Amino acid sequence: MSIITTTNINLYYGDKQAIKDINMDIEKNEITALIGPSGCGKSTFLRILNRMNDTITNCKITGEVIFDNINIYDSKIDPMLIRKKIGMVFQKPNPFPLSIYDNIAYAPKYHGKKKGELDEIVENSLMAAALWDEVKDRLNKSALSLSGGQQQRLCIARTIALNPEVILMDEATSALDPISTYKIEDLLNELKKTYTVVIVTHNMQQASRIADKTAFFLYGDLIEYDLTSNIFTNPKNKETADYVSGYFG
Amino acid sequence: MDKNIYERKIRPGIIAARALIYSVTTIVIALVVIIIVYLIKKGLPYINWEFLSKAPSRLNETYGIAPMIINTLYIVFITLIISIPLGIGTALYLAEYARPGKIISIFRYSIEILAGIPSIVYGLFGLAFFVNTLKLGSSSGSMIAGSLTCALIVLPTMIRTTEEALLQVDSTYREAAFSLGASKFYIIRTILLPCALPGIVVAMILSIGRIVSESAALLYTAGVDYIMPTNAVKHVTESGASLTVQLYLYATEGSSPDWVPYAMAAILMILVFLINLTANIIASIFQKKVSAKS
Amino acid sequence: MKVGLKEFLFGPVWDSANEPPKYGILAFILASFGSSFLTVLFAVPISILVAVAIGQLLPSAVGTVLRSIISLLAGIPSVIYGFMGLVFVVPFVQRVFNLSSGLTMVSAVIVLIIMTLPTIISVSETSINSVDKSYLEAAYSLGVRKEYALFTIIIPAAKSGIMAAVQLGIGRAIGETMAVIMVAGNIPQMPSMLKPVRFLTTAIVTEMSYATEQTRGVLIGIGLVLFVFIFIINSVFRFLIKKAGMIHG
Repeated sequence: MSIITTTNINLYYGDKQAIKDINMDIEKNEITALIGPSGCGKSTFLRILNRMNDTITNCKITGEVIFDNINIYDSKIDPMLIRKKIGMVFQKPNPFPLSIYDNIAYAPKYHGKKKGELDEIVENSLMAAALWDEVKDRLNKSALSLSGGQQQRLCIARTIALNPEVILMDEATSALDPISTYKIEDLLNELKKTYTVVIVTHNMQQASRIADKTAFFLYGDLIEYDLTSNIFTNPKNKETADYVSGYFG
Repeated sequence: MDKNIYERKIRPGIIAARALIYSVTTIVIALVVIIIVYLIKKGLPYINWEFLSKAPSRLNETYGIAPMIINTLYIVFITLIISIPLGIGTALYLAEYARPGKIISIFRYSIEILAGIPSIVYGLFGLAFFVNTLKLGSSSGSMIAGSLTCALIVLPTMIRTTEEALLQVDSTYREAAFSLGASKFYIIRTILLPCALPGIVVAMILSIGRIVSESAALLYTAGVDYIMPTNAVKHVTESGASLTVQLYLYATEGSSPDWVPYAMAAILMILVFLINLTANIIASIFQKKVSAKS
Repeated sequence: MKVGLKEFLFGPVWDSANEPPKYGILAFILASFGSSFLTVLFAVPISILVAVAIGQLLPSAVGTVLRSIISLLAGIPSVIYGFMGLVFVVPFVQRVFNLSSGLTMVSAVIVLIIMTLPTIISVSETSINSVDKSYLEAAYSLGVRKEYALFTIIIPAAKSGIMAAVQLGIGRAIGETMAVIMVAGNIPQMPSMLKPVRFLTTAIVTEMSYATEQTRGVLIGIGLVLFVFIFIINSVFRFLIKKAGMIHG
């Protein structure tokens, strides 16, 4: 069953078209990987899915993104409420300069959770992000005192705290060491039971290790989108084959 | 599913925050515009050649600001003559010669503290030292005593901005010249100073703005006379009011018709705007040059 | 006759013309501190709101125009502020509080607030604008509106820069002379908002010209007191800013 469907999505920066007519179904409770050389539009496409491109001036988007039976680009829709359901984790860990506890509690508090519920939300989110055991004794310490890998898991926990349906990850492990990366990959396999995960990665091994489906982007086009095993072992398209075999990129 | 749960709703808290931010901003901007427009509108009609070129006369009850303009120019000019060599020299020493250490960092901190000292304290010092102790010029203040006092006021800022301008010069130029066997002084003269010149010029123009605006420090060091000077050289030792000081006297003593302080305020304001505009233009030209280079 | 330090700093009465003269500057100290404190108390919140509007919320072209309008205020000589205070503020205060004269401490504070605004706005704007942009991006991705994120994350993160702005504001307010002498009434008595007051700076100006040898010594003492106060304020803020800077790395 698909949770997000895009139809004829185009994106322009001024006159330049960065995303060309993309139709794609993202399956529920799966990990979908977006791969491609840098500048191919994979991150831009990811940011289309929760309207993060809205903050960029001079950026025009046409087409539809259907989520929860609505078009999230409908003029009546509040992107803020879409982002509550479709969360995002960034390349560089960006915890707020607050305590660990306040980082997690920040968005639930804003979205109207009562004080009494917050303790539980913080604990559950940190558990879900496999960070609880490491930080449970120092929840009031600054989040900036954590290591890079811990900070990134904190950001995942912060997203989980809103109980979203989809988690978008924009090269979320590229700034981390291999052990932290492995921990997060492990975590994603766990998370997909509850959430749908879409990752952008330049690391093809990572895509082949954890993704159920993989989409290959080139120059703003979606070249091929299939089961990960097909993309890596039996691609239909020559460009895909060249890319996954390390021919360019 | 229900479409309404995603519909745009802006909470009262956010609306209140926006209302507060924009109303406060509007009030502040309106205030600035009102102050400026009001002053210029009330003062501008009275500004004419006679007002600019004559001295005030109690007898004829005519008003003119020529002596004050001359006094202000004297003070600006003498202050710059004193402070530019001292300021650039000190900045050069700090940027190029001084070895980092405790004494230098104390010296830098003192400059920072001196920059924050109210000008009235400098005025008091100038009165006690330049006027009463050294007896420079007239006992009620003189152009030279006022200028020395102003030099003390502008020096800390001038040193700091000049040093910054020197430090911004690409260090590879310096190293390249050194590797060619050029002497330190030669490098300073041919490379450092020319490269830092726009920054230094901006610092100087801002100092001019500061001197033109100064009043508290000049009241008792430069004096309050408004007679047209007769001897250009002797005037250095004579006392005289700057535009700001005379504006203060007219505004508080009520010894003039209402329009006089307005006209003076308008002139002063236009003058200061022009000075700052010049500094901004030079700074932005310089910035463009730098960004074009890199 | 010598003037004791205690009697000088804590003496409530200043009467330099009397025989024997009284040289207590407590009233001046309180007036200077009180007015500087009130000035930043009002000027800082106003400045932060304006800084947020021009640097964060308004379109950048509008922000640029407003910024240059405000910077016009920065260069205006203090006598012009004093003169405008005399023309606008003093009659206004007189009418609003139904006083016989508007030459009061509150008029001085109003003039000081207007004078310190451009500096405090510009320094706080610079520090708010230089806060890590990824904090805002994280807030967006959590469905949090910019206004909320600004007040809960961005402005607190700009703390050290805002403190530097407060320091500059206090320095300017405590050292201002001509603008306040024109609107504050200049009577040596214990400070009260709706009464004429004399400050440390204006005490120096008032007595400088016709002071006796002894009074002149006392005036230099006042100058020293100002110097020491500014030294202490700068050192305290230097320490605070260093400390605030360390927290955020």
